[in-house]
Amino acid sequence: MSWLYLGIAVIFEVAVGLFASKANGFTRLWWTIATLVSGAIATFFLSLALLTFDVGVGYAIWTSVAGVGIVIVGALFLDQRLNWRKALGILIVIGGVVGLQLSGAA
Amino acid sequence: MTVTTTRNDSKKAGPWLVLLLAGAFEVGYALSVGGSEGFTILGWSISAFVFFLLTLFCLSVALKTIDVGIGYAVWAGIGAVGAALLGPVFFDEALNPVRAIWLAVIIGGVVWLKLADSLKLDAQKTTPAPVWSP
Repeated sequence: MSWLYLGIAVIFEVAVGLFASKANGFTRLWWTIATLVSGAIATFFLSLALLTFDVGVGYAIWTSVAGVGIVIVGALFLDQRLNWRKALGILIVIGGVVGLQLSGAA
Repeated sequence: MTVTTTRNDSKKAGPWLVLLLAGAFEVGYALSVGGSEGFTILGWSISAFVFFLLTLFCLSVALKTIDVGIGYAVWAGIGAVGAALLGPVFFDEALNPVRAIWLAVIIGGVVWLKLADSLKLDAQKTTPAPVWSP
């Protein structure tokens, strides 16, 4: 069940990225509402998942999968293709977050 | 030539500052949620809600010009760095050498992304047609 919660949290986190882009600095009402609602749902399901997952491990999986998902969604829906430099940079940052979370004391 | 370069530079600095600000608000959000103990403490809960609005607003402004994949990674990265640095200040947490190295990795990656993002702008600026490919 906790994997399902984590999966839902990831999907809505990816949605936050997409909707926040579409909201254009909160100037488009419905995309803004969609951003806020998705953010709340993502946080809620993440907190449910973290009741059973180790916090560091759960958060690491959540951020990394969402980060990759958002790159894919950006390419599919926003026509934002990455060159190797950007892809490498994203890999380093997300990798750093995962390393940080897995190194305990989170 | 010089004038257009300066204008492009300042245009590009803005969204990145807003993105870093979004990361800072994300830190405030993470710490507030932690302090609220499952939203049972009112003060921390209100603080969490305000930071939640601020961080998503700034993220949305930054994503007007920054690619969402980059924006998200930097946002999450700055949030993680800030939470790790400020956690020991507010709560009973420790920052050991291993974690400090990961912080350096994240910060290095953010700087790299900023440079890679500016590089794209320069390429678009000097070439008339968008011929940039991965």
